[in-house]
Amino acid sequence: MTNPAARYGRSLTPSLASVFATPALLLALFVAVPLVALAARSVNDGEVLDRLTTPFVLHALRLSLVTSTLTLGLALVLGVPAAYLLARARIPGRRMLVLLVELPMVLPPTVAGVALLVAFGRRGLIGGWLADRGLEIPFTTTAVVLAQLFVATPFLVRTLQAGFESVDSLYERVSATLGMSPLRTFWRVTLPLARPALLSGAVLCWTRALSELGATLIFAGSFEGRTETMPLAIITAFESSAGLSGAVALSLILLAVALALLLVVRVAIRQQPLDAA
Amino acid sequence: MIAIDVRKQLGPFTLDVRFQADSETVVLFGHSGSGKSLTLAAIAGLLRPDAGSIALNGRVLFDVARRIDVPPQRRRLGYVVQQLALFPHLSASANIGYGLGGWRRADRQRRVDELLALLSLQGLGARVPHQLSGGQQQRVALARALAAPVEALLLDEPFSALDEALRADLRTELLRLRRELRIPVVFVTHDLREAYLLADRIAVMDAGAVLQFARREDVFRRPASRRVAELTGVSNVFAGHGDGEGRVVVAELVLRATSDGAAPRGDVDIAIRAERCNVRRFDPAGVLPENCYVADIVADLAFGNTHTLRFAPVGPGPAVEVEMASRPYEVLGIAGRTRWVVELPADDLHVMPR
Repeated sequence: MTNPAARYGRSLTPSLASVFATPALLLALFVAVPLVALAARSVNDGEVLDRLTTPFVLHALRLSLVTSTLTLGLALVLGVPAAYLLARARIPGRRMLVLLVELPMVLPPTVAGVALLVAFGRRGLIGGWLADRGLEIPFTTTAVVLAQLFVATPFLVRTLQAGFESVDSLYERVSATLGMSPLRTFWRVTLPLARPALLSGAVLCWTRALSELGATLIFAGSFEGRTETMPLAIITAFESSAGLSGAVALSLILLAVALALLLVVRVAIRQQPLDAA
Repeated sequence: MIAIDVRKQLGPFTLDVRFQADSETVVLFGHSGSGKSLTLAAIAGLLRPDAGSIALNGRVLFDVARRIDVPPQRRRLGYVVQQLALFPHLSASANIGYGLGGWRRADRQRRVDELLALLSLQGLGARVPHQLSGGQQQRVALARALAAPVEALLLDEPFSALDEALRADLRTELLRLRRELRIPVVFVTHDLREAYLLADRIAVMDAGAVLQFARREDVFRRPASRRVAELTGVSNVFAGHGDGEGRVVVAELVLRATSDGAAPRGDVDIAIRAERCNVRRFDPAGVLPENCYVADIVADLAFGNTHTLRFAPVGPGPAVEVEMASRPYEVLGIAGRTRWVVELPADDLHVMPR
């Protein structure tokens, strides 16, 4: 239980600290200054606060929250089993599957949007078949969710897969000898032990969905109340007569949401009963 | 009653295990890598044998021929793995009550309290595993394995991580538990003293096979082969020749051997434990009694309460290792002389066919 890091604390050589301090400080400033500017601008600009409650903003905000939450739900339902299989199953082509999961993470979102369109579009690979049955996906709210799902799920799956891999399967075997079925073992042992990974994976997925722009724009378009999520609305506002002020208001909201989420998750992870042992 | 008869091929390693036991403690004894833990895993249902069968109280748990393989969660066995594997996210109480999912809350609580008391863990129920000492973790693991009604208890070197004082306590506790439980206990250890203390029967394992399965006294006094004798700490195993009438010749010395009643003929191995050999004063004018020969001390290793003496024969007779308590060592004045008479008592000489 005594590891060297604990014994020596987070000690730091003073000379190294002075060398590294400058770049670290620069980086901190680089991130902080724009955020402060955003907040300052919204305080100085009286118009900004009025804009927060316009129907245009409220529509976008509601759509963003609804779609990104739906995306997270779908990602959990589909991604948790997938992550577990990737972590545990010895299946042929596992490496290929991992690659398939990782690809959307490195793919430019606009490419994802084009790919989705040629798959689900009216003349797409399966879009035509769906359209014949009265199901048209492109430029609907469904398309928004699918676009988010495509780009955001991998963040959940990859994080959670690593989490599952770090859970010793001995716990699962012991659980079985104590009379638990594999499914109950998963709920009571495996998933709780992978909780930090589940939380951070879910946050990554949700925030990625919330900030989705490129794939949504191409696959779902930008229709107020239907497909125009916050990031899209920022662009619309920026290009409209309201200009920068509109964009600032919307950005401020997204910033607040992201910050709140980050704090909630930090607290949730710290409340993990223990992480040692 | 537990009956196991299984084979499993794992690369170059063959596990081939057969034994059965009533409500008693069977110790699987052997070096690491001898297949002890694999045997437990097979009984628990975590390792699927290639052939054979496992039955518990007449219930078939596994049978290749009849295509029966009861999953681990329905075998009703208490299994404590070597690493303990207490669930780190659950309190001691929740760990102990883990297998009681179908119980009413009040019943579960009562059972957990009962086990906390049984294993002297009162007041520790709310702690999570990493807040418990090694001995406490050990007892929680034992309590968890015993919580639901089990028909046998499987213990895989459960005391290996503990210091000697704690081990002694827990062994005593286990002996007490065993009397109360009246179920078969299969206990894995590589510690010879622990094996003897806890066992009714010992299965001596080597390279995946059971070399001998017998009452603990028999394994110690009458090892089935030279290898068993070596594994169970018999320091003296001599090659010899039996005359079929209870006499053996070892290094040109004729010895009478009566320990097993049997009188093998031809090439044999003869074993005698170091602590069963006697040392007498050497009298140059005297006549050597039966089973005695003259030898010189070539090494004297002091272990505090005992001495291990190595003798080299002066005339006929084998080189031998003798263990002697420090009291007779001093009374005889071993340190003062080199030349002694070694006696290998006929009742303690165990003759094994080669």
